[in-house]
Amino acid sequence: MAKLILGVWQDKLIDNRNIDESSIEDTFPQLQEFEAGNPVRAFIGWDGFFIFDPDVPVVDMTRAYVEKVQEESCGYCTPCRAGTRIVADRLKKIAGGLGTKEDLLTIRRLAHVIRDTSLCELGHTSMNALLKLMELMPDKFNEPVLNRQPAKRGVYHSIATAPCIEACPAHLDIPSYIDAIKSGNYYESLAIIARRNPLAGICGRVCVRPCEFSCRRSQMDDPVSIKYLKRFVNDQILSYAAARLKPAKAALLTSGKKVAVIGAGPCGLTAAFYLRQKGHMVEVFEELEEPGGMSAIGIPDYRLPRNVISAEVRRMEETGVKFTYGMRIGRDRTLKDLHETYDAVLIAIGAHGNKNIGMSGEEEKPAGYIPGIKFLRDINILHPIGKFERPEGNHAVIVGGGNVAMDCARSAKRLGYPKVSVIYRRTEAEMPADHEEVCDAKLEGIEFLFLTHPKRLEINNSRVAGLTCVRMELSEPDASGRRSPVEIKGSDFLVECDIVIPAIGQVTDFSLFTEDFPIETTKWGTIKIDEETMMTNREGIFSGGDSVSGPKALIDAMSQGLYVAHCIDQYLRGEKIKMPESERIFRLLKTMDLPEPPVDRVGKKPRCPLSTRPVEERISDFNEIEYGYSPEEAIREAERCLRCYRIAMFVTEK
Amino acid sequence: MIYMSKAAKTEKNPNQSNGTEKEISLSIDDQDVIVSRGSTILDAARKKGIRIPTLCYHPALPPIGSCRLCVVEIEGIDRPATACNTEALEGMRVTTRSERLFNLRREVIKMILAHHPLNCSPCPINGECELQDLAYEYDISEMDSDEYRIQIEEFPWKPFSTPILDYHPRRCILCGRCVKICSDIRGLGAITMDGAGAKALIKPVMADDDAASLCISCGECMRVCPVNAIEERMGGIKGKPWETKKVQTTCTYCGVGCQLDLNVVNNRVVGVTTRDEAGVNKGRLCSKGRFGYTFIHSEDRLIRPLIRNEKGGLEETTWTQAMTHIAREFRRTKKEYGPDSLAGLSSARCTNEENYLFQRLIRQVFGTNNVDHCARL
Repeated sequence: MAKLILGVWQDKLIDNRNIDESSIEDTFPQLQEFEAGNPVRAFIGWDGFFIFDPDVPVVDMTRAYVEKVQEESCGYCTPCRAGTRIVADRLKKIAGGLGTKEDLLTIRRLAHVIRDTSLCELGHTSMNALLKLMELMPDKFNEPVLNRQPAKRGVYHSIATAPCIEACPAHLDIPSYIDAIKSGNYYESLAIIARRNPLAGICGRVCVRPCEFSCRRSQMDDPVSIKYLKRFVNDQILSYAAARLKPAKAALLTSGKKVAVIGAGPCGLTAAFYLRQKGHMVEVFEELEEPGGMSAIGIPDYRLPRNVISAEVRRMEETGVKFTYGMRIGRDRTLKDLHETYDAVLIAIGAHGNKNIGMSGEEEKPAGYIPGIKFLRDINILHPIGKFERPEGNHAVIVGGGNVAMDCARSAKRLGYPKVSVIYRRTEAEMPADHEEVCDAKLEGIEFLFLTHPKRLEINNSRVAGLTCVRMELSEPDASGRRSPVEIKGSDFLVECDIVIPAIGQVTDFSLFTEDFPIETTKWGTIKIDEETMMTNREGIFSGGDSVSGPKALIDAMSQGLYVAHCIDQYLRGEKIKMPESERIFRLLKTMDLPEPPVDRVGKKPRCPLSTRPVEERISDFNEIEYGYSPEEAIREAERCLRCYRIAMFVTEK
Repeated sequence: MIYMSKAAKTEKNPNQSNGTEKEISLSIDDQDVIVSRGSTILDAARKKGIRIPTLCYHPALPPIGSCRLCVVEIEGIDRPATACNTEALEGMRVTTRSERLFNLRREVIKMILAHHPLNCSPCPINGECELQDLAYEYDISEMDSDEYRIQIEEFPWKPFSTPILDYHPRRCILCGRCVKICSDIRGLGAITMDGAGAKALIKPVMADDDAASLCISCGECMRVCPVNAIEERMGGIKGKPWETKKVQTTCTYCGVGCQLDLNVVNNRVVGVTTRDEAGVNKGRLCSKGRFGYTFIHSEDRLIRPLIRNEKGGLEETTWTQAMTHIAREFRRTKKEYGPDSLAGLSSARCTNEENYLFQRLIRQVFGTNNVDHCARL
């Protein structure tokens, strides 16, 4: 693989054309190959380009790039609609050996107009690489004009992306569904979401929204409320247009293949939906009496009401996905049996076991010591039917700093414990929980003890009597820049409490794997799979979600469900399981980690706040806190989107 | 001049000077302007009488921002911004005229004309076309626009959202006004932009794959179209703008009283147009008001009263005779059979005032409460 020869990104230029190859630094060590045996020759993007192969066909490469822009242009604004087409036509002419010097002048002139006057970032960024290439490699453009020789053709892999699309694990086409909201077309908006995310109602309520953290609008004011907009379209369609929803055409399709999905959680549901869309018969087996998995029993109803989950599942049932509840594989039916009956099996059992803190006294399991996941599960299942028996106590202490810990703490508050505290070993800045969640928890009167770690569970009469904790401090940042907490010797102190809820993580329960039918697992307590095919060591058995990745966010599990559905589909068709090109490009882009261009627009418009129920009212029940946007608010919020579409293109050998 | 005096008045009022919450001041082409918060740069410029060229902007619509002609330079920002949808901010310094802006606007018009034919003479709106005016203003001839000519495949004729309208993709400049008025003002969303890049078109939206169009044939999209890409599919040649006489009148279809202009050529009504600021309707019309004018010249239309004679045939008569006959017969019926033997049924084509007078006539003169209205049935 050749080294970087010439590259520009924003204003940074790397020119190694006259430098000895051995002394060139590796700028993108992970960008060697597009796929196995197919090296990357060049990358051309929204703010520059990188050339690794000196013989790369520059003119044809820019032609392919601008033609891709034209293909993705929405046709709304003149410069991007007509201008890029004119530029693409001229580049095609030059690449075909018929170009003239006037064509080069026209391209240069139009490129500036398109860059300066386009409506959205697609047009703004479409000409940057071309202009920089024309400036740095003028010969490559003049040669075909002077010689009137057709330029060489290359192999291109391009994609329309945006910072939010790249950040979303499921790579949802976010600007496009926001566009549909802007024009009041909610039905189309939901259809766009459903292409990669069948659980808009769930995701629109509890997603950890990596997209919003990468939103370029935050350079001006606040990121766009992508999550609430998703919730908005979902709720609109459910409440106003349910009658218009017909069973999808998938209900009529059939490939004759049968797939068993174990677990009706986010990963299982997503995979089941898309497998059904692709024409396979899908049966989902769920241990609980209801769908949703961790999203149903791990997330309290005040954040995610159960009727939202059941509405999503009803839509899936309409397309022909079958659900069997109350069946635990390994107890009621064996995995081996499923493997023999079905053409493919997906294990998406999540991570429902509680991780121990590793302090003394834990193994005795005294009364008042309740694992976080069990606590949430009992509340979620038993509380709505009035069978939940609240463990007696005055002070509940939750250990952990993630969203599960927040859920436990806020649920405990709702159960009426006079005092609820959260213990976390780092500071608030390092908390993995959502910032909003932490703020809401504080509003609801939950206390936080940061830089504190539990050491020993004090037990009296096989009841929790307190928690001996120790103060922590953050060490100097290590090589990865992370500051780990270190114990301050002799700073032990006692927290008097009668309920302790550890919520520091979950593990997968492997009891469905029997000795006569083993599935390989990893030392981290997850199922071992092939990264590219999502298949376990046993042919035809796939896995995804938390049971593969360890406990992660909802959207991560869903993105795995989407991907594993693609793999299973290819497997059932007897094709070689191959990563889709778009997914490959997204992964490569992630390794490149290119800096975002600055936003040069005017007009601050703060994000539209979401109305919530008042604190006094909400802390006594489990009803939903957030109201969701009104149509006026949603359209106002949607208008804030800058539409940062841009094209990324890789030039490869074959 | 009116604009100037208004602005001057505002400046003198100490309570409304800059710094207060409701108003902001900015400078446009080195002139100070004070506008209410939330105004766009275009609003501010127009207040001062400064002209910024626009094409997709329409006063009846929220700003669209698709044509990119109203680009202006704002101090401190490299990229020009569009005046129609950029909010004017306190202390902003805006330039609306410069060589760079002139060139950008000229290039953009040339791009618009890259797939809009410049053979204006066969076009029905030749002479009152906004795009033609801009091409004239920026001195763009066919030679200039041919430089950028895009070869687009021929578009086969396709039905539009309603049989009453025709869509000409070649003329369409995709400004988006029609889509905006349909979704934002009419609240229908019956048409949308479809396709990518230079192949984009305006297309009717179907509620579902096999359902009918959402269109109600109001023709509002046609009204706002600047280049006549959406055209009435009724009648033949309409006449050129300069030979058309516009007669302002009130729509006779219902009691709302919408104002409209009957377009008259050679003493025949050939179409209906509206003025954006006229009447209660502010330029809007429904499908009846806009398209229901062909009855005027119908051969079957009654233009004189007829009375049935003793032989059973109809005879032409005068209004006085007809009215006298009607009054006599009503009086006779009332006398012989009592007032409740009579009833009045009014029409939705009457105004509110006429309907009021009608029920007074039935109740007080006829003496019965048997009165009703077709809109209630």
